[in-house]
Amino acid sequence: MGVLPELGLVRSDDLGRVLASVDAEHVPYAGGTELVPAMGLGLRRPAAVVDLKRVEALGRIAVDADAGAVEIGAAVTHRRIAEHPGVRRHLPVLARAAGRVGNARVRSTGTIGGNLCFAEPRSDLACVLIALQATSEVRSGRGARTLAVDELVIGAFETSLSADEILVSVTVPFEPAGMSYWKLQSYERPTLGVAVVVTEDRWEITVGAAVERPVRTVLAAGDSAGLDDFAAGLDIGADLCGPAEYKRSVLREHLRTVLETAP
Amino acid sequence: MTEPRPPEGEGPAPAATSVVIAFRLNGRRVETLAPVRLTAAELLRDQLGLTGTKVSCGIQVCGACTVLVDGAPASSCCLLAVDLDGTEVVTVEGLAQGRELHPVQEAFAAANALQCGYCTPGFVMMTVALLAADPRPDRAAVREWLDGNLCRCTGYAPIETAVILAAERTAP
Ligand SMILES: Cc1cc2nc3c(=O)[nH]c(=O)nc-3n(C[C@H](O)[C@H](O)[C@H](O)COP(=O)(O)OP(=O)(O)OC[C@H]3O[C@@H](n4cnc5c(N)ncnc54)[C@H](O)[C@@H]3O)c2cc1C
Ligand code: FES
Ligand code: FES
Repeated sequence: MGVLPELGLVRSDDLGRVLASVDAEHVPYAGGTELVPAMGLGLRRPAAVVDLKRVEALGRIAVDADAGAVEIGAAVTHRRIAEHPGVRRHLPVLARAAGRVGNARVRSTGTIGGNLCFAEPRSDLACVLIALQATSEVRSGRGARTLAVDELVIGAFETSLSADEILVSVTVPFEPAGMSYWKLQSYERPTLGVAVVVTEDRWEITVGAAVERPVRTVLAAGDSAGLDDFAAGLDIGADLCGPAEYKRSVLREHLRTVLETAP
Repeated sequence: MTEPRPPEGEGPAPAATSVVIAFRLNGRRVETLAPVRLTAAELLRDQLGLTGTKVSCGIQVCGACTVLVDGAPASSCCLLAVDLDGTEVVTVEGLAQGRELHPVQEAFAAANALQCGYCTPGFVMMTVALLAADPRPDRAAVREWLDGNLCRCTGYAPIETAVILAAERTAP
């Protein structure tokens, strides 16, 4: 009986203690929404899991009006992001995307850190955060470093974290006017996600879910040929949600609608 | 469990394969030794005998295993039992008052929103959570909220009707 093999637990509210415990055999977790099924399938076989939820610093949301950014702790759930007044005010697109992740159960248990660190390609948050050029604070027993989320999520199920590092928080600049996020979704996870920021002279486009990791590009406003080249050049994968050409044509059509027909 | 403890704040914390957890379950305090490998569904069903919570997909897509943890719905099939420590848990067994059904249960019966009933505890728990946050949801809100719950026999129209009915009967 039981879906999981023998497993240890490390639990502490002290960040130093947690950092000293994390390694290839002792893996961090928050909600467990990705890790528990992965362990059940035998895809991950850690000796122990290290609970991040009791570390206060990882559970905070802080709005910094002077810096024009919101810092979101790695162990904050999608539900809290979606409901937080400061996030809704300054990051409405992110709040809405978090409020539509998976289903209500995944949202109340799964976290922003778990989403990014699992690096499942079909992620809404990775796409929106890369579009916003968010940064991440990473720590280990050896020290801390700050890197762009774009440098954290580097491939399908692949991050640039080493085994002893954890993501502590993500810092997200306030959303500019003219930002939108749209997704195509027929099952639990998005098939295609597209974040767009339109300014007077620029089109900033980030595509996620259909590609191994989000891809961001900046074009001069009105550059339809550039848009064609960008969509055509993306390495889009086929899966149960559809063939690559289907996703590419939906993407092209969506971009046409939001960019080329914009007033 | 018997590894020596390093001094506070230094070195790795010891990993235990079983942990004593304490939580409130349907209003009663429970304290138990939970193996870390146990899921919340396994703890509730196999150790505590509360088999109203069902397990079907095991991957968080069907909702049959839904329980409320601190008022929020969770898939107990993929939640570690040790994560219930310190929480307030409600399962479908915690809804009725003696022989009197909860209004959401009443509404499911009245609307014929169940056939085999396997999915029902999950739909009922999701509905309880929805109405706590949004006492008068419209049909679109009901659909969006329940889009992570699967029913293989009744069909979704009577379930949607049951949720609207429960809301009408309970909204302040
Ligand atoms: C049914 C379903 C539907 C979903 N739908 C969507 C969707 O529509 N859109 C979307 O964007 N996502 C979706 N997801 C993904 C969801 O967002 C993630 O499952 C969730 O956010 C993971 O968080 P967690 O805390 O549960 O991660 P865990 O399972 O606890 O951890 C996941 C991985 O990240 C590592 N990890 C966790 N936190 C840290 C940290 N702070 N530092 C370093 N490593 C860490 C763990 O070691 C593990 O490898 C879906 C998931 C499911 C199961
Ligand atoms: S059994 Fe848990 S969601 Fe299906
Ligand atoms: S009533 Fe049978 S699965 Fe829903």
